[in-house]
Amino acid sequence: MSKDQIIEVITRNLLENIDDLDQSAINPESSMRDYGANSLDIIEVVSCSMRELKIKVPRSELAEVQNISQLADKFLEYVNA
Amino acid sequence: MMNDRDILKYSLADFGHNDNDDVLAPPQDFLTWIKDPRVAMAFQFFEQPMLAAPTPRTSLRTNLDGVTRQMINLTSYNYLGLSTHPEVVAAAKAALDTYGVGAAGAALLSGTFDQHELFAEELARFKQKDACVLFSSGLGGNMGAIQAILQRGDVLVIDDKCHKSLIDGAKLAGAKLVSFAHNDANSLDETLARHKGKRVLVAIEGVYSMDGDLADLPAVVEVCESHGVPIYLDEAHSTLLFGENGRGIGEHFGLEDKIGVSFGTLSKSFGGVGGFVCANENLVRYMKCYASPFQFSCALPPAIVAAMRKSLEVATRDSSLRDAMWENVHYFRKNLESLNLDLGESASQVIPIIIGSSGEHLIMMAMAAQQRGLFLQPIDFPAVEAHARRFRISVSSQLTKQDIDEACNIIEDVIARPLGRV
Repeated sequence: MSKDQIIEVITRNLLENIDDLDQSAINPESSMRDYGANSLDIIEVVSCSMRELKIKVPRSELAEVQNISQLADKFLEYVNA
Repeated sequence: MMNDRDILKYSLADFGHNDNDDVLAPPQDFLTWIKDPRVAMAFQFFEQPMLAAPTPRTSLRTNLDGVTRQMINLTSYNYLGLSTHPEVVAAAKAALDTYGVGAAGAALLSGTFDQHELFAEELARFKQKDACVLFSSGLGGNMGAIQAILQRGDVLVIDDKCHKSLIDGAKLAGAKLVSFAHNDANSLDETLARHKGKRVLVAIEGVYSMDGDLADLPAVVEVCESHGVPIYLDEAHSTLLFGENGRGIGEHFGLEDKIGVSFGTLSKSFGGVGGFVCANENLVRYMKCYASPFQFSCALPPAIVAAMRKSLEVATRDSSLRDAMWENVHYFRKNLESLNLDLGESASQVIPIIIGSSGEHLIMMAMAAQQRGLFLQPIDFPAVEAHARRFRISVSSQLTKQDIDEACNIIEDVIARPLGRV
């Protein structure tokens, strides 16, 4: 699975969890917070995405992730493990 | 999915979703994780039986080695020592003789005794609200109040560090739950602006339980007033402790009249168990009809209520108990600061010692503390951020200077030295 495919999964889950968000506005170099996601929304987006990708990244590893692209990199480590 | 090398990176944050086909079994990887000897070692700190009252000197049968030890207790929430206060215990005993052990019913039908009625009136007067509803637990109080006040389509806006009971209340209500950055008025303002036109309630805590810092109530009030949104204030860790008359953080900041709903627990400074919610009379009447933890659970035992009435009386007839606690807080802080420990933003009787990101260090230090006779529980991720694992001290008015000196000697040896702070 490629990083772009992982970003597609994260983006889709972000759109499902945040009201009035336009897909074309989402830039992977941005944080989900930039699109109005609060910490509870982010937990939900991460959970849904991990289930879909059939991976389990320790939550403690995600604290330093700053944006969607970095989240995808972290997921990629586990998808290809 | 989970390799042996990574096992210690996982935490309780990782197993909340159960994908096991057998509905009566936990997730398979949860079992692999929790049965790993390294993880099991950390879980030994949970549910260790105390064999005496939760006073500063108590007796604990530790799960580490099965040995019963006399301990200095820095973990119990008995901030004013009221759970063993002679007058409080005597009130409970006298009420036991009169009323027996249980309430034998839910409050609406047969669980309300004269003690409940009197105590609710006393608490409402104390909190300067019209009325009060009692709950059998603090968690039930928060959950029930939020469930009754909100519904699907409404929004509960909470501080990022609010307690699980508020989160669960929103889930039970079917309300949308959103959070703002901890104590950040700009974040709250932006969050409220995004939910204009909805029925919105803002919930914050007076003292945040893992950090011991205070709500920035003046800033929250200003933002909420500008949006016309009411405030729900959880004073679980501040009632009887803050303000000139001990009424809490609302009184401390002189903003009690700006609080729509005031919540408190009876299990911390009061030394008993239960929760209470004070608000205007109509809202309290409504909550009694729609808060499930009030309607459908047995009322508080009358003897507990009689004891809690005495706790309120003892703690408010003068300021001696809270003065003693604050003197201990200042003395403890001074000692901890001289050990160069990171106490975060604490401004209360809850004092964290933040040790950093290593869960293994946290557990090793906790074991050493316990073996030296210090009951000081480790607080691990996800209860706190992964980079700020900690110990948490609950300062009690009952501690003596000797207790604090002895505790600080142990903290110096098992926490400050390994961290290189001294």
